[in-house]
Amino acid sequence: MTERTDVGAVRRWVRRTRSAHRERGETLGNFYFAVLFVLIVGGMLHRQLAVVFWPDAPNASVLAAYSLATAITGGLYLMLRRLGPLALSRPAASWLLTAPVSRRRLLLPSLWLATAAAAAAGALGAFAIAGHAAARPVPAEVGALLPAGGALLGGALMLTALGAQGERRWSSWADDAAYVLLAAGLAGLVADSALAAPRAPAGWPATSVVAGAAVALTVVVLAFFLLAVRGLARTPNDRILEASRTAGTLADSAFGVEPSFVTEMVERRYWARRRLRSARLPARLPVLVAQDLLMVRRRPRRLVWLAGGAALPSLLAHAPGWVLAVAVLVGGMVAGGVTTASVRTDAGNPWMLRMLGLSSRTAILHRLVVPGVLAALWYAAALILLAALGDLPSGPWWALGLVLGPVGAVAAVRKARTGFVDNSLLPLDTPMGSIATGPLLAAFAGVDVLILGLPTIVQLAQGGALSWTGVLVQAGVAGFGARAYLSGTTATDRVELSDR
Amino acid sequence: MDHSAIEVRGLSVSYGSTPVLVDVDLTVPTGAGVCITGENGIGKSTLLRCITSLQRPDGGEIEVFGGPPGSTPEFWRAVATTVEPPTWYPGLTAREHAELVCRAHGLDPQDAGIDEALDRFGLASHADAIPPSLSSGQKQRLTLALALLRPSRLLILDEPEQRLDPEGRASVAAMLAAYLEDGGTVLIASHDDGFAAAAGTSVVGMADLHAP
Repeated sequence: MTERTDVGAVRRWVRRTRSAHRERGETLGNFYFAVLFVLIVGGMLHRQLAVVFWPDAPNASVLAAYSLATAITGGLYLMLRRLGPLALSRPAASWLLTAPVSRRRLLLPSLWLATAAAAAAGALGAFAIAGHAAARPVPAEVGALLPAGGALLGGALMLTALGAQGERRWSSWADDAAYVLLAAGLAGLVADSALAAPRAPAGWPATSVVAGAAVALTVVVLAFFLLAVRGLARTPNDRILEASRTAGTLADSAFGVEPSFVTEMVERRYWARRRLRSARLPARLPVLVAQDLLMVRRRPRRLVWLAGGAALPSLLAHAPGWVLAVAVLVGGMVAGGVTTASVRTDAGNPWMLRMLGLSSRTAILHRLVVPGVLAALWYAAALILLAALGDLPSGPWWALGLVLGPVGAVAAVRKARTGFVDNSLLPLDTPMGSIATGPLLAAFAGVDVLILGLPTIVQLAQGGALSWTGVLVQAGVAGFGARAYLSGTTATDRVELSDR
Repeated sequence: MDHSAIEVRGLSVSYGSTPVLVDVDLTVPTGAGVCITGENGIGKSTLLRCITSLQRPDGGEIEVFGGPPGSTPEFWRAVATTVEPPTWYPGLTAREHAELVCRAHGLDPQDAGIDEALDRFGLASHADAIPPSLSSGQKQRLTLALALLRPSRLLILDEPEQRLDPEGRASVAAMLAAYLEDGGTVLIASHDDGFAAAAGTSVVGMADLHAP
């Protein structure tokens, strides 16, 4: 039997050996720059931060406050589940997880980190909700207790997510419940903006009630925390390894400024979990359209989210018209992106395209069909809803939505074709420092094509009634743009999507 | 048409200052099977990559069916290759990949014999799996199955026997022999002389292709 080694000693040794390679004072320098960065950004953005977290006067209704709390709860839980919440760094996962060390002591720092992060997120959320909804003046003790309650709730969510990480049976139930909470919260926000719900009453619950609830919650969270520490060693290895890979991919993505790593990981994991049965591709349709349709059929949940998402632009009903228009246009791009993973595959390695022997023009033309239909339906739904809620002047908005389809499709396909970020481009020198152009261009690939929706942006910015001429102009611009995109970026005598 | 399927003259490729191919000549007549052998690093894969236009040579001439190899759909409808590592469409099963390839080439999936092909490659029980979840040997078999299912006039395969068990090797060799009998042309690179003979290809040493 191998003797157990003290994990603390191992970690101290690793730290000492690594720091021996570093220059003297490097850690101190990093700390100094981090503090300086926070101070400078805080100084620059403190007004905007105040508007987000603590505006001068409360501006949200009771419904909005509860909806926001529900949505944040669901969202925070899902984020914790995606990240682990218990994760080790990749080197620790490879070397220490398999070593004869105490698993509890190995995982305890990760547990503390996850708890602290979740509690901070919960406190920040509660602070913002209180800032938007609480009548002024806010009593000091309540103002302090609410974020504390939020922090406790964040801790409770972390502990639930930790339980779900080790347990397959109810974890999917809990995930579904969190999705429902998120959706219900967003729906509440939409309803709030549509109904103009009443503002929060000026009164406050008695401090003793809030304090009592906080104390009760503290006891529960503490008890579960101790239980979690006790059972920490039983967390299955595969879950910890999966979470470590997620953390590693996120780090790679951040350091390399390469968001496609994360997209790829999410896509790979989704399909690895699914159990599929081979289906026959519909015979009458072109083969790639048939494939895309099959993909749509296999992602029913995403379609439900898209359908629900059509209500989200109404949250911006009171924003300037052009902001609303851009938000609607971006939404269609997201809707068109349901099936573009195959375009991403072809852009990365055209092996399958060579096997299929189709020209890039035929391939992209066919790949635009399903995204076009999805985007058209989404645009129509979003605009019909906005019109029904009275946020738009009169006019055939459904028709404008339908003719916008090609814009969303081209944007989604262009985004998928971008491939890796080109980090060899020259940086832009600005008075605020240099900006890397590669990630910037990659971030705007796809979004730039939304300029084809300019007639819609102008229409919404001006706020006049929509005429059929307006619809025709948008149809013309969208059709012409899609055609120009096709003939400009593909060829009939080339299989690969990009010119070699 | 009297031209060869593949005609390579004076091909040179070097990686940095290391020459890999120097003045290489190769002719593969239409309907013939040729297997190139040689130790690792001698340039077999580089030669195949150049012939399939996936790598640009430093010098020399290459003709495939009388024309330069390129990225045109006509070229890729005539040539099927496993020289490049494959990619798979997310969310599509192994069988659906096969059906996609058949349909793209105008074949009726019912008549193309997809299920028989998957069965012969030992993939019948994995037809509903997504290719990334298959083992490396199964992926290799699926790649070969796709290349053999679709119509083509020239097969260019890089070590097709790799990662296959003895039974799989024999079955792939038999299929290549049948492909040759049907009038197709085959060019493979391999380390296994027995496999090359079973596939009906004539063995050519890579060292012999370099001009004297």
